Amino acid sequence: MAAIEIRNLSKSFGAVRAVEDVSFAVEAGGVTGFLGPNGAGKTTTLRCLLGLVRPDSGEALVGGRRYADLAAPLSEVGAVLEATSFHPGRTARDHLRVLCTAAGLPAARAGEALDQVGLADVAGKRVAGFSLGMRQRLALATALLGRPKILILDEPANGLDPAGIQWLRGFLRHLADDQGCAVLVSSHVLSEVEQTVDEVVIIARGRMIRQGAVSALTTGGDRGVRVAAAQAERLRPRLEAAGATVETAGPGVLLVRGAAPETVGQAALDEGVVLSELVRERSDLEQVFLELTGESAAPPAAAETIPGGTP
Amino acid sequence: MIGLVRAELQKVFTTRMVWGMLALSLGFTLIGLVVLGVFAGQQGTPPLTEPDGALTLFSQAGSGLVFSFVIGTLLITGEYRFQTITHTFLATPRRERVVAAKLIACAAVGAIFGLAGTLLAFAVGVPAILIRGGSLSVIGGDVVRLCAGVVAAMALYTILGLALGSLLRNQIAAIVIGVGWVYVLENLLVVLLPGVGKWLPGGAAQAVYGLSSPMGGDYLPAWAGAALLLGYALLFAAIASATTIRRDIT
Repeated sequence: MAAIEIRNLSKSFGAVRAVEDVSFAVEAGGVTGFLGPNGAGKTTTLRCLLGLVRPDSGEALVGGRRYADLAAPLSEVGAVLEATSFHPGRTARDHLRVLCTAAGLPAARAGEALDQVGLADVAGKRVAGFSLGMRQRLALATALLGRPKILILDEPANGLDPAGIQWLRGFLRHLADDQGCAVLVSSHVLSEVEQTVDEVVIIARGRMIRQGAVSALTTGGDRGVRVAAAQAERLRPRLEAAGATVETAGPGVLLVRGAAPETVGQAALDEGVVLSELVRERSDLEQVFLELTGESAAPPAAAETIPGGTP
Repeated sequence: MIGLVRAELQKVFTTRMVWGMLALSLGFTLIGLVVLGVFAGQQGTPPLTEPDGALTLFSQAGSGLVFSFVIGTLLITGEYRFQTITHTFLATPRRERVVAAKLIACAAVGAIFGLAGTLLAFAVGVPAILIRGGSLSVIGGDVVRLCAGVVAAMALYTILGLALGSLLRNQIAAIVIGVGWVYVLENLLVVLLPGVGKWLPGGAAQAVYGLSSPMGGDYLPAWAGAALLLGYALLFAAIASATTIRRDIT
């Protein structure tokens, strides 16, 4: 049974179709990135999953059940939704204690969770004085209160400084690898999650675009070899004779398709051209993401024009 | 369910606002007590040494009604304003349980406000009556009923605050409308249109207090006032539930 399962989920707010027929599943013991541009429907999907928003149709299940049917929800699912959702006049410890009381958890869990996210020093401080990064850590502590096996995080890296983001990456990997948690983490910034996630689910304009392993998305498609040299043009005849297609990618830069890097290097040696760069153009996740979601082209058109597949 | 009520009470008592409201509520009661202690008996008002005067004096216990209303409002609008409602519903996805816990917590906090006001009224009122040369025999069953009425009314107004807050969600709007209603509109209606006013929560509270209407109109009998207060509490509870249970939290 999947830890998280979304089946044909749809939700509209008035005339706005926020989510349309989205389906995917997340297994335990891995980190799944839930990616899409702003307004793609990520937050709505996650809020449906957590019983905060009522879907128009379809189902969103955690551990095979609807969130509202979980007997001890905080002990099964931890969620981080907004960085700002704390009463400013309440201390960090009191915020967590209130939730411990409501969820029937021992009050000691409040201090332990604050320890876990590195906020033990400010446990007795009012949240009003917290930075955005500290609020994100407090939100994470909230999610960890019941030691859940499923974690759902909506843009958890927002407001974190680079050290904080690095810490978060390590922490999420630790939860997935050492504790066998299923982690679903949404982001609109790929670079934040690219090194952390095993799988990605990509949505755009409320529709499902693709689910798959990161490695599967980035391989495939010959993107060519990029070569830079002051006299790069001297390479062109040799490469074309070897059956490659050559484009000029900039002053002194060629993009060569249909030839291995070795072939290009050999051509340079033969011509006596000094290379300053020779790179196999790898399709990175960022590029795949932009292509899949259509963000690299014109601004979003009407939802109907979104291609179901990929270029 | 007990845990949920305790969680709601923890929410109330882990912010400083509740102490400010309690201080204001007691401050209003104290001002009323001092004014009556000094001026009762003048210009045809009943002196403290008579049962009517004592009753009026002790009715000051409920002067801070509006502040218990505000606490009720804050318990729900604060959750929407600071989005803590998300955490609340994540911990307890069965929202009807959250609403029930909030209602019970509101009733308890309102009753605490009412009891505090009553204690203050006794602390100031008893010496005041004695200083005026009165006998404590003026404190009879009427005063006991009045005090019970104050506690009940405070509890009801806290629930009223919760209901209005659930309906409007906007903290400022709920407080402005609520305070305007409690302080201005309802008072005007109770005094100027007693035929309408006696059916309002404020009029029902006055009926339970057992005071005579300043403009000569009749309040309901005390039992009917109590029943009406209970009816209002149920109505407000229904409003709070209906507006909270199905709403999308975005």
